[in-house]
Amino acid sequence: MKRRSFLRGLGLAAAASTVVVPSMVMAAEAPKGPNAFSIDAAVQAITGGKPVVASPKVHLKAPEIAENGAVVPVTIEVDSPMTEDDYVKAIHVFATKNSNVRCADVMLTPANGKAMLATRVKLGTSQDVMALIETSKGEFLSASQNVKVTIGGCG
Amino acid sequence: MDISRRDFMQIAAALGLVTVANGCATTVPGRNPAAIGAKDLYNFNATGKVTLLHMCDLHAHIKPLYWREPSTLISAPNLVGTPGFLCGESFSKHYGLEPSSLDAYFDTHMDFEALAKKFGKMGGIAHMKTLIDEIKRQRGAENVMFLDSGDTWQGTGVALKTRGEAIVKAQNYLGVDVMVGHWEFTYGKERVQELIGKLDAKFISQNVVGDDPFADEYEELIFEPYTIEERGGAKIGIIGQSFPFTSTANPKEFTQGWSFGLRLETLQEYVNELRKEHKVDCVVVLSHDGFSVDQEVARKVHGIDFILSGHTHDPSPKPITINGTAIVIAGSHGKYIGRLDIDIQDHKVKGYEYKLIPIASNIIPADPAGVKLVNELYAPFDKEFNEVLGQTKGTLYKRDTFHSTFDQLINDAIMDEMTCDISFTPGYRWGTTVLAGDDILMDNVYEMCGITYPNVYTFELQGKRIAQLLEDIADNVFNANPLYQQGGDMSRLGGVTYSITVGAKAGERISKLMIGGKPLDPNKTYIVSSWGGNLQSAGENLQEDKIRAIYDVTRDYIRRKKVVDVSNTGNVTLLDYDCGCPAKGGGC
Repeated sequence: MKRRSFLRGLGLAAAASTVVVPSMVMAAEAPKGPNAFSIDAAVQAITGGKPVVASPKVHLKAPEIAENGAVVPVTIEVDSPMTEDDYVKAIHVFATKNSNVRCADVMLTPANGKAMLATRVKLGTSQDVMALIETSKGEFLSASQNVKVTIGGCG
Repeated sequence: MDISRRDFMQIAAALGLVTVANGCATTVPGRNPAAIGAKDLYNFNATGKVTLLHMCDLHAHIKPLYWREPSTLISAPNLVGTPGFLCGESFSKHYGLEPSSLDAYFDTHMDFEALAKKFGKMGGIAHMKTLIDEIKRQRGAENVMFLDSGDTWQGTGVALKTRGEAIVKAQNYLGVDVMVGHWEFTYGKERVQELIGKLDAKFISQNVVGDDPFADEYEELIFEPYTIEERGGAKIGIIGQSFPFTSTANPKEFTQGWSFGLRLETLQEYVNELRKEHKVDCVVVLSHDGFSVDQEVARKVHGIDFILSGHTHDPSPKPITINGTAIVIAGSHGKYIGRLDIDIQDHKVKGYEYKLIPIASNIIPADPAGVKLVNELYAPFDKEFNEVLGQTKGTLYKRDTFHSTFDQLINDAIMDEMTCDISFTPGYRWGTTVLAGDDILMDNVYEMCGITYPNVYTFELQGKRIAQLLEDIADNVFNANPLYQQGGDMSRLGGVTYSITVGAKAGERISKLMIGGKPLDPNKTYIVSSWGGNLQSAGENLQEDKIRAIYDVTRDYIRRKKVVDVSNTGNVTLLDYDCGCPAKGGGC
């Protein structure tokens, strides 16, 4: 389901921005399929090249050290009134160093009341987890946190 | 604020313990054991009505022991020489220790062998109890609370054989009121709950939460997050913080379904709840985060009066204050009890006094009931534990960032039996010290490696994976951000030498990695033996017929050798510091 909604989101982003960049990226990397995007290309596919601003309004909660890299709990909450004129349209979650960097894409409307998402992501290695937020005003906000995935073993 | 060093100076002066040598007047506080009485250790500048007693990381040492502090304690350049990363000369200078004094003996490795002969063993519950009773007599038992930062149930043979129960009995005898945990969890979560049932103290933790979506306790707290206790007419809120990285530092299966972590957001919520809803007069966090992590906690969470820390085994004679929070930590292995007197007026902390009291077993007399209890607890195992396996030529100790002699002995034992290229043993900070020339008892072997997952695994690992794992471990130990450290030391390696630049970036710290005297070949497959960690899960072709408990492997090796002669020459070359105990800024 998440995958499908992402694809839809991707389509929307491309359509809304009416910029050819995403499709160019798609064309250039077509044989790899959409899951093989680098983090920059995946972000660009969503933003259409618009600037992304790291924002204190985006609260990303993740453990410093993952207990289990296969299921790392991540919570994202965005300070937003969630009214018709000002709301969070989408929350995208990225694992910046996974071979598939995209973890989740959630579309929201003012009816959600609160811009909040809690999920679990799989991390192949120590890396930054990133939340990319699209607002109804067309801004892109982000927050990142490094999560360490370690084999552990010292007491 | 008065501390023990100054007390000693004053006592020495008062008692006229001033000798004249070579025409110079020198005070010799605490240098002569005959001149120090229990009274000098009890001496305290009492304040307020409330007294908190604190112990951490007993590691099940209910009998007195020798415990040598580290001679190497290296960290990232920004942390080196700060409290939590002080040892030997830098520790002594930072806290103003008198050389060769009782405090120098307890707090540093310097001149350890000679001072051990002079001052004798440390700790032991019978001696701790005498001190605790004396403080309760002075202050009124109803005004005293005894808090335990965990790592209490595990670390000796008697703990292992009774699956923690002997130590719970010891805690009940000592009168522990509240505790948190870490190695406690290596008995498995069912056993933890069983032992809590036998424990008089409360077991609290705000950072252990159910994470099995099919269990009733999903997203629920496993333990009470805090407790509110009244002492000396004041309401004291105590929040529990168990070891945040239990499930990565120790095998996951023991705590399957429980999630740990620092959980600073909820910690802040509980601090607020205690202050606003319960109107407590004082907020204490009883923690097993580690000394440097708790300094970060104090920076990030507001409204905590005191953090009683544990895990990293630092003896800290002085509290450190960050953001209005005073942080103390009381060493390890029962060597100390921290006494914190708090002056609470108008529902606020007005002042406090702290002293880290060394449990010098030759100075503080044993409580006969404690001696009896210890004997009873050990009786069923005396025959096995008291077997003399052999003798040691040099002092066997555990600790230091890269290498220590008892670890080397264990690695030698593994290499000898398993015929592997490399051995990996864990860098945890508990164990024991056996003085040069002394017998090595089976009890000492359990003190070094008595864990509930003792198996030595022998398997294959590719050279490049070994290099990667070492970098990974180095980043857990040397990360510049304490929140990403796990508070242990580097894994100990047999058959390997390497150089390290601690201040380098993650993944680039280790160089000149040699195996069996030859440079590591990234594409070669090596035979690796390992215990106490999780490395076997990264390896291939596990040799199942070779799996054996580490305490048996070590026992048999010492029996074969009869006299062990372990070199104290490390296998690691430190490139960015010139000594093991650098001061702030990295100077030696």
